[in-house]
Amino acid sequence: MRRYFLLAASISLLLGLLITAWQESRHPKPIALTPTLTSQVEYCLTCHADLAEISSSHPVNTFGCVICHGGERLALEANLAHSTMRGGKNPSDFSVVQASCGGSNCHSGTAENSRDHIQRATTSIQATYAGAIANIRYTFGVQPDLKAVLGVFAIRVPESTSAITELAAFNPTQETNPFVQAFGQNCLTCHLSALPLPGSECIRFTGCSACHTPTQFPDRTDTTQIQSNQIHKLTTAISYTQCDTCHNRGNYNLRTMTFEPRQDLPTNRLHDYYQPIAQFTSCEWMLDCVDCHTRTEAMGDGNLYSVKKDIQYLQCKTCHGTLNDLPQTRTLTDPNDLAFRLALLNPVIDLKLGDTLLITEKAEPLWNIHVLPDGTYELFGKADGQRYVFRPVKGSACLQDPVRQDSGSCHQCHSVER
Amino acid sequence: MRPSFFHHLHPPTIPARQARLRYTLAAGGLAVFLVLILGITGILEIFYYIPTPTEAGNSIQTLTFLVPFGGLVRNLHFWSAQFLVIVSIVHPLRVILTGAYAPPRQFNYLLGMGLLVLAILLDFSGYVLRWDEGIRWALVTGTNLLKSIPLIGNALYTILVGGTQPGLATLIRFYGWHIFGMTLAAGILVAWHIFRLRRDGGIAVPPPPLREDQTRITRFELLRREILAMLLASTALLLLSTFAPAPLAAPITASAPASETARAPWFFLWVQQMLKLGNPFFWGVVVPLAVLVLFSLIPYIFPKPVKPELGRWFPKSNRIAQGVALFILLSIITLTLLALLPAS
Repeated sequence: MRRYFLLAASISLLLGLLITAWQESRHPKPIALTPTLTSQVEYCLTCHADLAEISSSHPVNTFGCVICHGGERLALEANLAHSTMRGGKNPSDFSVVQASCGGSNCHSGTAENSRDHIQRATTSIQATYAGAIANIRYTFGVQPDLKAVLGVFAIRVPESTSAITELAAFNPTQETNPFVQAFGQNCLTCHLSALPLPGSECIRFTGCSACHTPTQFPDRTDTTQIQSNQIHKLTTAISYTQCDTCHNRGNYNLRTMTFEPRQDLPTNRLHDYYQPIAQFTSCEWMLDCVDCHTRTEAMGDGNLYSVKKDIQYLQCKTCHGTLNDLPQTRTLTDPNDLAFRLALLNPVIDLKLGDTLLITEKAEPLWNIHVLPDGTYELFGKADGQRYVFRPVKGSACLQDPVRQDSGSCHQCHSVER
Repeated sequence: MRPSFFHHLHPPTIPARQARLRYTLAAGGLAVFLVLILGITGILEIFYYIPTPTEAGNSIQTLTFLVPFGGLVRNLHFWSAQFLVIVSIVHPLRVILTGAYAPPRQFNYLLGMGLLVLAILLDFSGYVLRWDEGIRWALVTGTNLLKSIPLIGNALYTILVGGTQPGLATLIRFYGWHIFGMTLAAGILVAWHIFRLRRDGGIAVPPPPLREDQTRITRFELLRREILAMLLASTALLLLSTFAPAPLAAPITASAPASETARAPWFFLWVQQMLKLGNPFFWGVVVPLAVLVLFSLIPYIFPKPVKPELGRWFPKSNRIAQGVALFILLSIITLTLLALLPAS
């Protein structure tokens, strides 16, 4: 019997070797990528080869994965490879955005080269939530005026040209007013660092990706499909549905300091766009938000503000003009005009030198709106490329008072019934 | 056939009891086998490991994930090292519980204790060579313990760490100690230990006139058993290395916060637990050294085992030494288990 021990042990070792070889053969074949920007080989594609390129401005052969996402570039074991990723799935979260998206050649350049995206986004009112905080604290008598002094995080902008150069961090636990405490507890859900509210319609990332990474929504009329997901994409073609992951989802009840989601079940774009109580014109629901609202309005201009109206300045007249004036235009003569870069990032329109565009009162190019030879205007939807033609007010039968350009005045005649 | 070191260790015949598994537990032989595995896998690792703080982690990841069978080599090295520490504890424990350190084997017992210390230090230095977040706490705490030693602590720290905090000099020093300094010392001690083993008459059994069992086995039977043990150990190592990879974490970066669940390597968990009691010099240096000294002095300060009782477990003549050894071992196991409990 004992003589077979050696044979049995030899067979067990042989089996062990076979198992080891089998296990080794199951390892995926490493797929190497050496991005030109880093010149450091990385193996993320071994598992993520099926992931679509995130955007045409971030080609994977140039950027790779690690320069934005972090992570262990050589590891082929998921837990280790992902252990040092910045911001988990979202490297654009504001806690890590500087390391992920920053750099003077990337998104923390200067206003002069129009690459100061991180500075603008992190100081914007959507990031600081300073307006809502100031409003609530003023309403409940905690601060004497509406000037913002607190944001969801502390931030200093010494060179701010607004009246505010710094915000301290809002800490609800240090507030004495119970309503302000409750606001802090229940209502800090709509700024760019906040996790989204529950519900598939609210799913979004934080930071830059809250807007620039589209949520893939299911057909909302099909209630069996309640899942929605973010996809691996960065885009400037931002649909209204992305804005609606925060906006138009319901209202904050100031008595209970809770969020009350809208109760209707939208069945199409007309009903989905705004809450039932809202008034709007046809262009306000047929177009996407970004077709009118500029990058500065949405992402800020690098200054700190107390309230949305301090930064949001577009009015109907920006595109339509008034009875007395046509909208402002600019003919492209400089090949470095910002309009060319914006059109390159979202090629819904083929801009050429000599083209005449609409511009805003602050000279921001409305690069997706052309002046046509017949004096009408041609707009291409940034999110869907849809072409619209519209006329100026001047010379029309519009009954407007040129001084009253707030949307409420226009809505008196042009609102859509649903 | 020309006599050789192999023949020196494998005489034509030996008493059967000297090679009985339930007496020897094959601990010494396994230790030698593990040292061989560690030597071979260690040499292979040298070709890929880069001992700098910025490259150590990357080079280990390259070896582990990208070099064909590199992960297997690293896992074999890791598991062999852990088993070496285990058999290096089991071996002297067997010696104490069978009274096998009886004269003339006291000196070889001391050589063995030296090897135990080297096995632990080699394991710890190898662990540090990972230079990843998993080892940072133990590296910082372990080296800081040196500073707690009065008078010479700071000098010892500087000698080991090569500066005021762990860095490139530290890694190079640990690397040097690991692949050269301690490995050389261990190699010499291993050879000396097994040379002494034979010179002291092989594994402890009663002298021929007092032996109840006079059976002898041939060197071929001894070799057969050694091969059997090696085959079984190799299988176990292979399977463990295939299915339980050696730990690896992200490389140390200055910005990363220290983990709240930081732990010492398993063989120092008992020291980590004692450090919670207060004075680091006493609990982290004095007590562990006292345990080592006490174990080393067992052949000299406790009643000596009598020769007729050799070759079997728990002889009556050295019960005190057995009791002390078991008490200390159980204390160390208890402290280790306490350290493994999640922090409340």
